[in-house]
Amino acid sequence: MNPRTRHALEFVLDNLVWFMLLFVLVVFSIFIPNYFQLGIFANIIEASSVLGVMSIGLALVIIAGHMDLSVESVAALSAMAVGILFCSSGIGMGVQLHPEWLMVPVSLLLALAVGGLIGAFNGFLVVKVKMSAFIITLASYIWVRGLVLVISGGRSAQDLAPAIRWFGIQRLIGLPLTAWIAIACFVVFSLIMAKTPFGRHLVMIGGNETATFRAGIRVNRNLVIAFVLAGAIAGLAGWLLAIRTSGATANLGVGLLFNAFAAVVIGGVSLKGGVGTLPGVYAGVLLLSAINTAINLMGLPANFTQVIHGLLVLAAVLLDAFKQTIRLRLA
Amino acid sequence: MSEPLLVLDNVTKNYGAIEALKGISFSIGKGEVVALLGDNGAGKSTLVKIIAGGLEPTSGRMLFEGKEFLARSPAEAKAAGIETVYQDLSLCTNVDVVANFFMGREITRKVLGIPVLDERAMETVVEKALASAGTRIPSLRTNVEHLSGGQRQAIELNRFVHWGGKLVLLDEPFAALGVEQTRRGLDMIRQVASQGIGVVIITHIMQQAFQVADRIVVIRQGVVAGDVARHKTSPDAVINMITGETLAGAGPAG
Repeated sequence: MNPRTRHALEFVLDNLVWFMLLFVLVVFSIFIPNYFQLGIFANIIEASSVLGVMSIGLALVIIAGHMDLSVESVAALSAMAVGILFCSSGIGMGVQLHPEWLMVPVSLLLALAVGGLIGAFNGFLVVKVKMSAFIITLASYIWVRGLVLVISGGRSAQDLAPAIRWFGIQRLIGLPLTAWIAIACFVVFSLIMAKTPFGRHLVMIGGNETATFRAGIRVNRNLVIAFVLAGAIAGLAGWLLAIRTSGATANLGVGLLFNAFAAVVIGGVSLKGGVGTLPGVYAGVLLLSAINTAINLMGLPANFTQVIHGLLVLAAVLLDAFKQTIRLRLA
Repeated sequence: MSEPLLVLDNVTKNYGAIEALKGISFSIGKGEVVALLGDNGAGKSTLVKIIAGGLEPTSGRMLFEGKEFLARSPAEAKAAGIETVYQDLSLCTNVDVVANFFMGREITRKVLGIPVLDERAMETVVEKALASAGTRIPSLRTNVEHLSGGQRQAIELNRFVHWGGKLVLLDEPFAALGVEQTRRGLDMIRQVASQGIGVVIITHIMQQAFQVADRIVVIRQGVVAGDVARHKTSPDAVINMITGETLAGAGPAG
């Protein structure tokens, strides 16, 4: 095989999920009436912003060889914290700040801080107490959701302050600002993972933690940062979720975790750690969203979504194994 | 012997009630190659980990370049100038050759105050380092998982030759190498030592020890059972020290 075809083949393998996305979009556009519209595509991107942001944090931790099951609950807690403070009906306290725009940074910082704190707690236990991240974050997944129920009393907050809502309404080139925030997050974190020593170290820690420790990389520090980032990013997802629903309910975001997982796996991130890129994850998120939209347009019962997502995850894992064998041939 | 680089003074290590090291004392000079020999479980790897910062000693002290020395982490040992090549390979197979070569020491340039990896600069350095060592690897951008055992070990050996430092610890570095590559590896060790770098090599193969070492230190049951210059001893005498039949030529045992 000449180097040229080999490069081409490797390029396709590295970006397989983008080709899948393209393929799916083309097929849907051809066979589903009304699918091929700018509005539909904008909707696909818009609908994937919360899931997309959450998937970034999850992917970071998984690439570093660990796990964070708590992202969904953390997002819900952040959303609830923002909802209780800045909603004007339900359990919302309707806190007003002057000038009004001040509510934006305050609510955002609050959401990030709530997420970051829980992330720090997770990371500390994983690194210092050396417990399995799976168990610790499973516990967090449960107790943080419990906390949401406790502080809300099972009720909801509605009518988020208009100054914050503005991000969900104001559009730029056909997309609401919330979607642009998600896209910006993907760009920033993709660059961090691909271009900075921190990102490189996370990938190597996911590949061989002992080797990185021996090489003098501060593994524990990097891992705690990864967990804090995952938490803070989940907090941001919660903030976007609160904007999207203009408030918060006690069961806000239930099921997002599994979609995030699906997106991450479909995006080419290996659960064994050390493999995967964030652009791939974004393609995974868009792919899920494109399929959801297709299901809606075809008028299939929404219950089918879950079946299809499950099969898609299976397909992604099989595909990953298949890619490995092709790569071995290439080497 | 030349000026001592590292001096170990009665270093001990207990794992609970088990005494892995009962008091090790010896020294390594600048530019000296010391072969550390001993049976399985004699405590060689424990000793290397203590010097390299992977383990802390229970008691005893170390002097590095005449100063009190204790590495609490591999990062500290590296900062002091101690490089280690471990028995089980310390490569991240999920990244490419360049990334492995520069693991933890990436060349960066600042973009808007943020450190960004300078891939081109790193690739140039690796290219040069591998070429001067005569190691051929098809592409520096292939992930290490696609390379053979010998190529992987060559990367590790070239890595320590390149970074050098002041003291190099090699824990059975030739386990995966063929005859020719081993010979080249031994040459590399002599070459490194000739630059004034101290080398400690752990090996099971007597022939290698006699080929490369200036001095042979034998550890048995956690103490130094022998510390002799190579030209004053023979493989048979060393084997006897390892198995414990004689304590002839023994150094300061605990």
